Order: sequence, then C-alpha cells, then structure tokens
Amino acid sequence: MNFENRIENFAITILNHRIKVIFSAIILIILISSGIRFLETPSGYRGFVQDDFKYYQDILELEEKYGNIDVLTYVIKPNKGDIFQKDVLKLIDELTEASWQTPYSSRVSSITNHQFTEVDGDDISIDNFIINVDELTKENLSNLRELAKKEDSIVNFVMSESTNVGLININLEMPEDIAFKKPIDFAWNQKMIFEKKYPDIFVGVAGSAQFSHNFQSVAEADASKMYPGFLLLIIILTYLLLRSVMSSLIALLVIIFSILPSLGSAGWFGFEAQPPLIAAPIIILTISLAHAIHMLSIALTNMNEGMSKNDAIIDSLKINFTPIFLTSFTTGVGIAGLNFGNIPAYSEMANTVAVGAAFGFILSVTLLPALFSLLPIKSNYKESTMLFFLKKLASLIYKFKERFVIIISLICIYVFSLLPNLYFDDYFGSYFDRVPEWVEVKDIVDPEFGSSFFTFADIETNEPNGITNPEYLNKLDEFENWLVQQESVADVSTVSDVVKNLHKNMNGGSEEYYKIPENKALIAQYFLMYEFSVPYGMDLKNQMTADKSSSRMLIRTNYSTAIETVEFNKEVNLWIENNLKPFKTKGVAGIPIMMPHLFTENTNGLLLGLLFSFSFIILVVGLSLRSLRYGIISVIPNVVPFILGFGILTLFTDMVTASHQVAVLISIGLVVDATIHFLSKYQKAISMKLEADEAIQYCFKYVGYPIIIASICLFSGFIFLTQSLFFNNFVIGGMCAIIIIIALLIDLLLLPALLLIFGKKA
Amino acid sequence: MKNIILVLIILIGTKLSIAESLEEKGYNIAKLSYESGRGFTDMISDQLMILIDPKGNKVTREISAKSLENLDPDDGDKTITYFETPKDVEGTVMLSHTHINEDDDQWLYLPALTRVKRISSSNKSGSFMGSEVAFEDFSAGDYRKYKWKYIGEEVYEGDLCYVLESYPIYENSGYTRRVGLTDELLRARKIDFYDRKGELLKTVFFENYNLYEDKIWMADSMKVENHQNKNATIFQWQNRKLNIGLDKKDFEKSSLMRLAD
Repeated sequence: MNFENRIENFAITILNHRIKVIFSAIILIILISSGIRFLETPSGYRGFVQDDFKYYQDILELEEKYGNIDVLTYVIKPNKGDIFQKDVLKLIDELTEASWQTPYSSRVSSITNHQFTEVDGDDISIDNFIINVDELTKENLSNLRELAKKEDSIVNFVMSESTNVGLININLEMPEDIAFKKPIDFAWNQKMIFEKKYPDIFVGVAGSAQFSHNFQSVAEADASKMYPGFLLLIIILTYLLLRSVMSSLIALLVIIFSILPSLGSAGWFGFEAQPPLIAAPIIILTISLAHAIHMLSIALTNMNEGMSKNDAIIDSLKINFTPIFLTSFTTGVGIAGLNFGNIPAYSEMANTVAVGAAFGFILSVTLLPALFSLLPIKSNYKESTMLFFLKKLASLIYKFKERFVIIISLICIYVFSLLPNLYFDDYFGSYFDRVPEWVEVKDIVDPEFGSSFFTFADIETNEPNGITNPEYLNKLDEFENWLVQQESVADVSTVSDVVKNLHKNMNGGSEEYYKIPENKALIAQYFLMYEFSVPYGMDLKNQMTADKSSSRMLIRTNYSTAIETVEFNKEVNLWIENNLKPFKTKGVAGIPIMMPHLFTENTNGLLLGLLFSFSFIILVVGLSLRSLRYGIISVIPNVVPFILGFGILTLFTDMVTASHQVAVLISIGLVVDATIHFLSKYQKAISMKLEADEAIQYCFKYVGYPIIIASICLFSGFIFLTQSLFFNNFVIGGMCAIIIIIALLIDLLLLPALLLIFGKKA
Repeated sequence: MKNIILVLIILIGTKLSIAESLEEKGYNIAKLSYESGRGFTDMISDQLMILIDPKGNKVTREISAKSLENLDPDDGDKTITYFETPKDVEGTVMLSHTHINEDDDQWLYLPALTRVKRISSSNKSGSFMGSEVAFEDFSAGDYRKYKWKYIGEEVYEGDLCYVLESYPIYENSGYTRRVGLTDELLRARKIDFYDRKGELLKTVFFENYNLYEDKIWMADSMKVENHQNKNATIFQWQNRKLNIGLDKKDFEKSSLMRLAD
C-alpha cells in the first residue's frame, strides 16, 4: 500500500468516526487548555534572564549584602520654573511622607527628607533639608537652592543639576517571586491624587520597579487590545477568501483549538506570560489559518467541480497531508532555534509556537475533515479572476524567465552590498518606547539624570571595619573620579562622600576639611556618630555591611547601547585590575550592565540557532523532495527574502538587534512553507509528464492561490504584532511582515523562472 | 509581693467589670508594668550586641552603660554609654538626656577628635549602631510614649499574658502600631512592631528575666527579629548592678567635657 492510499484510508476512518473524533478532540483540548491558569505573571526583568546568568548572579550577591536594588521613583517637574517653589516643595514633602505607605518600601529619599547637617561650633544639628514649607520666604527658597546645588548626595540623586526636576526614590524590599503590581498601583494612585491637588506640576512614575512592571502591563495590554481585533480580522479574511460561512467557522475553530492548548501547555510547563509570549498565539493563528485555507480551498474547489463533500475533503487531505506536515514541522524547527539564545521568555515563546504548530497539524488532518463532513456546506467558491491573473503571470514568467532571474539577481547584488553596514547591537532603553506613559517620564528623566537606573559596585576590604581605613576611602575616591569621567556614567556616590561631609561638619563646616581624614579611628567614630543621628530608613545599611568590611558604590548610569556597555564594563574591569589593589570587587553590577550583556550573549546564541534551524530545514526540504537538485534550488527562494529584508532594514537603521534575529527564526519556517508547496506540486506535474510551461501553469493553478492567501494571512498577523506596546514585538512583527511579503514575491516570480531554467524536464 | 497585689487588683478589676474602657485598662496595665520596673535609682551594666545577617554571619559589639533614674513624671532618664569595640571607637562616650515625646539631648565625646559634640536630631526611630534595635525600643515599656488598648489574654510559653496594643505618640516614630504580651508578673515578653505602612516589621523578645533587688524584674536579653530584611539582633546585659549610688554630676555635659580636656 503506498503512502497516498494510506492517507486515503486514514481520511475515511476519520470521516466514519467523525463524531468520536470531534468529541475526543474537544475533550483533549479542554483538558490541555486548562493549563492556561498556571501561566505565571511575568516577574519583570528578572524573568527575562536565566537564574544562573553571571550578571544576574552579580545582582543577587549584591542584594544579599545590601538589600534589594529595586527603586520606585517619582519624577516631579513643575510646568513653570524649578522645584524651589513653595507648592512644588510642598508636593514633594507630602508625597515623601505618603511614600512610606508604599507596599514593600524600606526607605524613602527626596530633597525634603534629605538629612542635612548644620553646624554651630560644637553643636551639630541634623534634620530634614526642608522643613515648614509654608513658612519659607523667597529668600529662604533661593538659599535652599544654593545649598542643594552644593550637596553631592542631592544633585543627580534627588534633584537634577538644573534644579528643574525633583525625584523621590523609594527602595523596595520585594519578597521573592512577588511582582511589582502592588507598589506600582499605589504609586499611580498617588500620582493621580497629587496631580489633581497640584494641577501645574507633573508627577511621573519611573525607576527599575516601573521598568520591571512594564513587562507585565505591556503583556496584559497587548493581550487585551490586540487579540480581539486580530480575531475579527481573521474572521473577515477567512470569509472573504472562502466565501462560505461554515467553512470560515471550521477554520476559526481549528485556529482557536490550536491556540488554546498551546497556551495551556505553556501553563503546564510553568512558562511566564512575558511580552514575547504575546506573539505566540498570533504566529500559531497564522500557521493554522494557512493550513485551514489550504485544506478548505481545495475541498471547496473540488465540490465546485462536482465532487461529493466527503470525496472533496478526502482528496484535499491527500494533496495537503505532506505539505501541511512539512510546514508545521519546519515552522516548529525554525522557531525552536530560539532555544539557542539565553532569554527564557523567547525560548518559552518559541516552544509554545512549536507546540501550537503540532496542534495545528493534528487538528487540520483530524478535526477539520470531521467537521467539514458533519456540517452543512455549500460551495460558491470562485477563484476565476485570481486564477486568470495567475495564468497570465505564469505565461509571462515562461516568456521572460531569464530576465526575471537577472533582474532579481541584480537587485539582490545591490542589496547585498548594503548589508556590511549592518552591525549587531541592542539598546535596552528602547524596550518600552511604545508605552506613552513611560516615554513621557523618560523624556524628562533621561536628559536631566542620564537614566532612572542605577549600577552598583561592592568594594571589599576582607577585614572587619576595613572601610574605615583612609587608604580604602581614598581608593573609593580615586575610583569615583575615574568613573565620572566615563561617558556611561552620570554620577557616583560612595561612603567616602559621607566621611568627607562629616569631616567638614565636625570642623565647623569649613570647606577645606572636605576630604578624607588620615586617622582611621576618627573615621570609625564619625561613622558611629552618623549612625546614631539619622532617623528610620536613613541609615547606611544599604551602603555598608554590618561588619564594615565592604561598602557599596552607587553609580547613576546614562543609557548606553550593548556595545558601549560591554566596552565600559571591560574598561572598568581593567581599571580595577590595575588600580584597586589591595581591595577587591567583582566589578559593576545592575540592570544597565545586565541587560546589554544578556542581549550580547543572546545574539551569539541566536546565530548558532540560526545556523541550526537553517541547515535542518534545508535538509528536511531536500529529503522530502528526494532530490539534491530541488534541494539546492529551494535554498535560493528561502535565502533571498532575508537578504532583501535586511536590505530594506538598512533604510531605517543599521542596528541589528536580537529582535531582528528572532524575526528571522520565526519567519524561516514560514517562508519555507510556500517553497515546499510549490516544489512538491512541480515535481508532481513533472511526474505527470507535463511540459515545463504546463507544469508551471499546474503549480500556479493548484498552489498559487493558497500561497497568496497564506502569505496575506501571515502578513496581516505580523502587521498586527507591530501594534504591540513592546518595542521588540514591534520590530519582530515589522521584520517578519517584510520578509513574508518578499518571500511571496520571490516564490511567485523567481522560483518558477528558476525551475524553468534549472528544473528537470519531463 | 507588691506585684501579686497589683495583679490581684487588675484581675479583680477584670472580673468585676468596673466601668473601665479597654483603653483605660490597657493604659493601666502598661503603667503598672512600667512602674514595676522602676525604683532602681541608678544602674550599671555591660552590654553585648550581636548583629546577625540573613546568612547567619555575626558581628559583636561591646558597650557598657550607666543610667540614672529620673523621677520627674514628665521626663526621661539620663544615660551614659561607653563604646568598647570595635577598637577604633574605644573611648567614645555618649551622654543622653532622654525625653518622653521629644527628641533626646545627646552629647558625644569622640576621642580621636578630643571634643564633645552636641547632636540634635530626630533619631529616635533610627537604628542603634546598625542593629535592628531603634533608640525608641530601649524605652519600649514606657507607658507615657504610647496610647494603649487592652485586647485580651493569650497564653505565651505557658504563661497567661495580657495582649496590649499601643500606638506611638512621638511624631517621628518609625512605627504605627505595636502588639505586645505582658505576663502576670507585669513583664513584657514579646512585642510585634508594625511599620509606617502598617506591615509587620519586627518582633522583639524579652528573655532571661532576673529579679533584681528582690523586687525588679529585668530582661537581661532582648532578641529582635526583623521580618522584612531578615536580619536579627541579640542584646545581652551582663554584670548589671542597681542602686549603687552614682554621682548625679556624672550625667551632665560638663563631666563629659572633662574627658576632652
């Protein structure tokens, strides 16, 4: 019994037991889909990295010593003037007080509660920098402005150098595996309250806590805003393409039943609903839709030509079984290449799509024929205009085959010359550039402060009380002075600043004492005194260990690209190696260091994944066509769309990010589908002893239309993905859409011409 | 004997349901508890403070202290603290005139500077030497610093205890609420502290009670567990002596100045 007969038997069995097939499919789907409830809420940027990632481990070690690094920041900017106005300071004062109520908060710092020391001989008074706002005179305000500008720990930390923007920083001590929703909701509520009370002052929410929360809010917003519209589009599209309400309904059922259990599996696997996962249903949807269209359009054509409903679907299954299997398989394999990267969110998305591709295949060959046979379907399927156009196109290609090949080759060569301009980089500051609320705040913070992120360095002495050693503090100073000269650094704060300030204050406030004293005991006594004199939440515990053997530097970093960050990190390590002895550090750590390294390493992994997926797919295509010649011919239409796609990218940017690579891995399995359909039909035509021009006409008649439809579905799917608030999804959607549309053109124009020139003749 | 009579009074009060609100009852128990620890006139002790981080690493600090009881119902005691370790702070002395609901007066003698500095700050809520103990915790039993409420009774480590809720009066306090257990001998046994956002911050356990002068129970160990940052601090009193006739003049700024000369 040959393969076609086996498929026919399989199809007949399905149709004979159609009710059983439908019920068991539905029960199985409900069972698997129930896993959706286990999909975890994204844990922000922490969920974006693997736990054992070196730069994340650095952060965890730092947190173990000095507490959680996450900060929730209010950004306060009056519409007119600077922050030294009564109502602005009043707002900051009130919001600072209210901020102690923030869930999980451990300390709150702002210009108003900054601990300011006043000296009068041997009387030292330490108090909030700004008290009794109501009684401040104009003169007081301008005095305060001048004083604030001189305080190292105010400028660039709770107030911008221009004095135009104030910050309230709230340190959060988050329990493990708890998302930022509670503190963020609290903060947004405060923002509303205070903006209402002070309509002329802008209050924004920023900081790593908001950054982290964006992962969650963006995923939620995308899911609730994109999916319904997309579903509607698909319903309209299927109806327009199939002209049959029942057939559209079948297509829709197959699509939904492919998506739900894949998300269910993602839940059972314990995946997180990070923004990249949002793309998974859209990709699964387009694959299943393409399957359904291939199956249904041929079945409907068959019915038009007089076949009975059951015969029509059995025939369609015979024609489509192998291509549908292959396309599901290549899509799964292609996207599985993402597992070579090191961002779990992308691997999880890829594996969800791979599962979805499997469901898409299984349902298209079981549930779909069963439903088709059961439901009342009338075919008024017309494809005459399209078919007429395709016929014309086929003869045109036959006539001018060499010219088609030459023109497209020339375009390719030109575009190829543009590609060397491209370089790999990433810019984590842009992830949420499509979230208006985030951009609004970012546009205020970044020019004034560099960014709202901090980097840290844990500098160890390896002996208890070692940090009171003047040699150590001078070394910190030296490191600080070097750091502030680096382009990636906006400002630095260390415990040596605290000591210098104390030394000055203990010597009548004289500026000439703003330096590290030479006496270790004196420094130790200063620290003791300082620890005694600050209130709740103002101590140095987040800057030094209890045994005073090491201290933490706080570095405010400017946004930098991945390349700049990796370079900066290298230079820092070099400086440390050459200059820091005898003290020790593991180097700088923090979100601005971790994220760029994550993407740099991910890029390298993805390149390997690309190599894997590509060779595997080419191999599968070659094997399935059982021909080296067609295997080689198939490489061309599968490579050219990517070359042209990246050529088009150079019109917008030369920076190739991880997202562009992800786009390649997603689309490679899809691009290859059309080629498989086309080549398998061509082979069949040749085996039917058709002449070359007839063979091309045959291909266009049987797969031209489905290829166009499938490409339109994929294209619309990816265009929808560009609506995502997550910048990376936007890039992936745009890139995939471009590649898919180019691939369609190549399959319709170049592939037939190539087959005419290099293909086997009957 | 005095204690037993007090307890009887309270118990009778409870049983007879004399018109006494829960607030008054809480206040009365707190007041009796506070007063049962008074009458020491003056006191000296050595103190050991052990800081324990979440990983179990320990740091030990040694200090010794003198205190002078202040009988003024509207004012706090006077204390002198001598810092002994780490070695770099040896010889540092702090004199405090504590006040009930205002900032304390503090003078610090720094031997490396050979000067006395007067420090005024709202530091009562601040950490004591980087520990989980705040200055305001040292007078946790002073009924005058809180508003009280009697909640009920609870058995703790086999002893029946009054459950008292208290709310700080001092405006810069780091707490909004405390829930404490006071046993029938009027000894505070355990207090839960709730932070400014109303969440459980830490629990203080008073342990190793010893009877001094045959009438005053004093806890010679205080264990603090911070539930938020998972750090802990153990405070131990050793060589505690009461009523030894210290010179009141020692507790004035001028005597601290003498060290500087």
